[in-house]
Amino acid sequence: MWSGMRQLQNRLLLILTAGLCMAQSSTEYLTPAVRRVGEKLACLCGACKNTVASCQMLGCHYAGPAREKIAKMLAAGMSDQAIIDEFVRKEGLRALAVPPLEGFNLLGWVMPFVAIGIGLAGIYLFIRRFHKPAVASAPTDAALLDKYHEQIEKDLAKLD
Amino acid sequence: MLVVAAAILIAGALFFVFFVREKDLPAPAPQSPFQHLDDRKAAIYENLRDLQFEYRLGKLSEEDYQKTKAELQRELARILAEIDALKQKLGVLPRGRSAAVAPSPAPTPARGFTCPHCGATFDRELKYCGECGKPMTPGAST
Amino acid sequence: MENLGSLAILLALCLSGYAILASLVGKWRDKPLLVLSAERAVYGIWALLTIASGILVYSLITGDFRLAYVAGHSNRAMPVFFKFAAWWGGMEGSLLLWAWILSSYSALVVFTNRFRFRDMMPYVVAILMAVQCFFLLLISFPENPFQVLAVGKGITEVPDGNGLNPLLQYWAMVIHPPMLYLGYVGFVVPFAFAMGSLITRQPGDAWIHTTRRWTILTWGFQSAGILLGAGWAYAVLGWGGYWGWDPVENASLLPWITATAFLHSVMMQEKKGMMKVWNMVLISATFFLCIFGTFLTRSGIVGSVHAFAQSPIGKYFVAFLAIGIAATIYLILDRLDYLKSEAHLESVLSRESSFLFNNLILLASCFAVLWGTIFPVISEAVTGEKISVDAPFYNRVNVPIGLFLLFLTGVGPLIAWRRSSIESLKKAFLWPSLLGLSVMAALLIAGVRHFYALMSFGLCAFVLATILMEFWKGSRAIAAKTGQNLLLAAVELTHRNTRRYGGYIVHMAIVFMFIGFTGSAFNLDSTNEVRVGDKFSIGRYELKVRDLLDGDNDNYAWRRAVIDVYIGGRQVATLNPEQRVYKASRQSTSEVSIRRRLNEDLYLNFAGVTNDGRNLAIIQSYVFPLVSWIWIGFVTLLFGTAICLIPSKVKMQYARTEVVGYVERHAAVTK
Repeated sequence: MWSGMRQLQNRLLLILTAGLCMAQSSTEYLTPAVRRVGEKLACLCGACKNTVASCQMLGCHYAGPAREKIAKMLAAGMSDQAIIDEFVRKEGLRALAVPPLEGFNLLGWVMPFVAIGIGLAGIYLFIRRFHKPAVASAPTDAALLDKYHEQIEKDLAKLD
Repeated sequence: MLVVAAAILIAGALFFVFFVREKDLPAPAPQSPFQHLDDRKAAIYENLRDLQFEYRLGKLSEEDYQKTKAELQRELARILAEIDALKQKLGVLPRGRSAAVAPSPAPTPARGFTCPHCGATFDRELKYCGECGKPMTPGAST
Repeated sequence: MENLGSLAILLALCLSGYAILASLVGKWRDKPLLVLSAERAVYGIWALLTIASGILVYSLITGDFRLAYVAGHSNRAMPVFFKFAAWWGGMEGSLLLWAWILSSYSALVVFTNRFRFRDMMPYVVAILMAVQCFFLLLISFPENPFQVLAVGKGITEVPDGNGLNPLLQYWAMVIHPPMLYLGYVGFVVPFAFAMGSLITRQPGDAWIHTTRRWTILTWGFQSAGILLGAGWAYAVLGWGGYWGWDPVENASLLPWITATAFLHSVMMQEKKGMMKVWNMVLISATFFLCIFGTFLTRSGIVGSVHAFAQSPIGKYFVAFLAIGIAATIYLILDRLDYLKSEAHLESVLSRESSFLFNNLILLASCFAVLWGTIFPVISEAVTGEKISVDAPFYNRVNVPIGLFLLFLTGVGPLIAWRRSSIESLKKAFLWPSLLGLSVMAALLIAGVRHFYALMSFGLCAFVLATILMEFWKGSRAIAAKTGQNLLLAAVELTHRNTRRYGGYIVHMAIVFMFIGFTGSAFNLDSTNEVRVGDKFSIGRYELKVRDLLDGDNDNYAWRRAVIDVYIGGRQVATLNPEQRVYKASRQSTSEVSIRRRLNEDLYLNFAGVTNDGRNLAIIQSYVFPLVSWIWIGFVTLLFGTAICLIPSKVKMQYARTEVVGYVERHAAVTK
């Protein structure tokens, strides 16, 4: 044991960290099955935008116990969906990592694609408005071109 | 001490902001009325140069190249015409090509104003030479 | 001292109000002296804010803990470097930095344009000063950095401060906020010029030419700010994430996306005089998103780790945004005739169309991020129930969008302006497509089954091939003409059109970053409770705990693990993950230890000690494949941006020979 082999020289450190490291190593519960369910649930610790599966904060007061609970429920033979439903019943819809695909929250998913659709329509309108294939060279254009032909050629020769 | 520093700060700021004199006014840089047309022209030449280079790299077909080139040249001609029209409007008529646009009596060196830098002559006094763009000092007429 | 600082800010506020009035009245009444006085006020504000900032920094460094801000963000034991950085460590100071950067930019703009754009400059000054006035209002009243703690009312002396948040005591975090602010604030300048030219109906695109470098430089600062933040998160937060879709991170990404869209679509206006309205909209959107980002970070409207404390300034921002956006929309609508397009779309298969799609995709991803950020607030308002929009939402929506964008990065530059034919496209895309497909096939054979990862690597190869072909073909053409070797020819090629080839280098940087992002599909992690002599493994690495140490200094107490890393029985490295507890703030941080390689990073974090009486060290170990490519991409991006800023070699002599012979109107000299 570490502190057995070498006495901690630093009492202060122990005092300081006493409150901080309530490290119940929660990741021991992170089996593939827990990960699978946890990916669908939001970590509600308030400090991250991760899921119960991906939160890496050690001793996270939400993700840790949540994983433990999932593991227990899985062991009790509950299905994934039943576990998720249980979380939603307890915490409300915010327990889900992403907005549910129903009711008003469907809008959360649909809007980005509606935006792309509107954008595509905008592009279509833009192209229709401004697309003018091969402008027939007007006679005035031809006359102008003749007049300035010499100068343009001269300048073009200087180009490269 | 603090009061003095505060007073200095306020007085300094007010003096700096409000004490502006006639001679502090910056002489405005010569702003060419052709600037925006020149910019357009430069952009088209740039496009032409690009086009030529990309054609050389094989990025577009011969047909597309010729079409786009003709288009760009037409646009260029239109801009050049606009420039000449503006010149005529402003009464700036250097010798050379524009003379053909608006037939005017060729300026005689005896009565005109000559640029000390390039020797171009004009029929009226100009602040800047119409050919080389350098400032023409008043009284440099021959 | 602190009274002097407050006075300087107050004076600057008065001057900014005066500058708005003076430049507008001076313009309308045709009084150049008044306009000049307004410009003097701009310099004056800079001087005053420099004094105020100097006083704040001096107080931070000397430890004048009577000041609430100093006591809250500095302490005696902190190194001077971090004491200086405490300037932007808190809300009040960072707003002062915002205002100071804006005043520096404004002074620079006024100075460099003192002889030019005399008709437009009063409006530019007025707009810059309106923004300045707003921020000075914030730091004069609700968020004054020179607030004194209630010394004398019971508290007689403050011996030491709380110190800067220890998470922020890291070099990248010291540069990250100023970089981001340089970027945020920088977009005020192109916006002010855009509006100025809109108001005065400047002929041509003078505002674009004038602010071209500003925009690119500012964009570079912003990219650097965002990526430094990502690098900081990776190296400091202890879980190896570089992007967490946090509202504040999103807030910095939004204006970056619209600015990127602007940088592309503005080419349409420069080359052909098209999309003028759209460019106005984009530059305005960028500017307002910058303000919105500042608002989001500081108002506490959305919960976030690195938001500043909740504060009442939210309503100020809402008012400012509402007025600003309304005025901008009115101006654009009122002057639609001035923004009329000068050209047509010759063919649907053209560079122009590819830019349209580029803009669509960029804005779609911008909208998706914005939507995800504010949707919880909207949904709660409508349904009354809180919901979460977490990383999986952003990933699901943005990964396909990002991949399509990557595809366009490869396709766009190969399509010629105005018109292109299927034949030339076939020719151009044959080899890159083959390369992309063969990379995908090789990965598939190697056992990679992740769909998006396969797509991403394939597209990366495709885009990289198109970019290299551009350089190769161009250099070969030049080499053939001048007889230089290919390398010199490539330099020559880049020098001839720095913006285009600099842009290609930036595209390459984006490809590198995508390689890095894609690597995250294959991350490994494990957590082990260990004592000295224990062995554990992750991926192909064998890890052996050689020693566990601890100690302390003035600033923090620490403990550290010494871990030998073996691959196949051979020792390749020794890593020293460390945990620190800062004494002043009683916060702990992780000093992770990383073995960085191009193929993957081995990342160790000393997460803590078990408190079940066994006192085992908890070591979190991760393998992050390809993550280094993000930082390589970062450096490449900076390089490419720098190249874009170098003037192109070919000067347009042919454009300059135009007649300038025209007697200047005596416009500005009349009194």
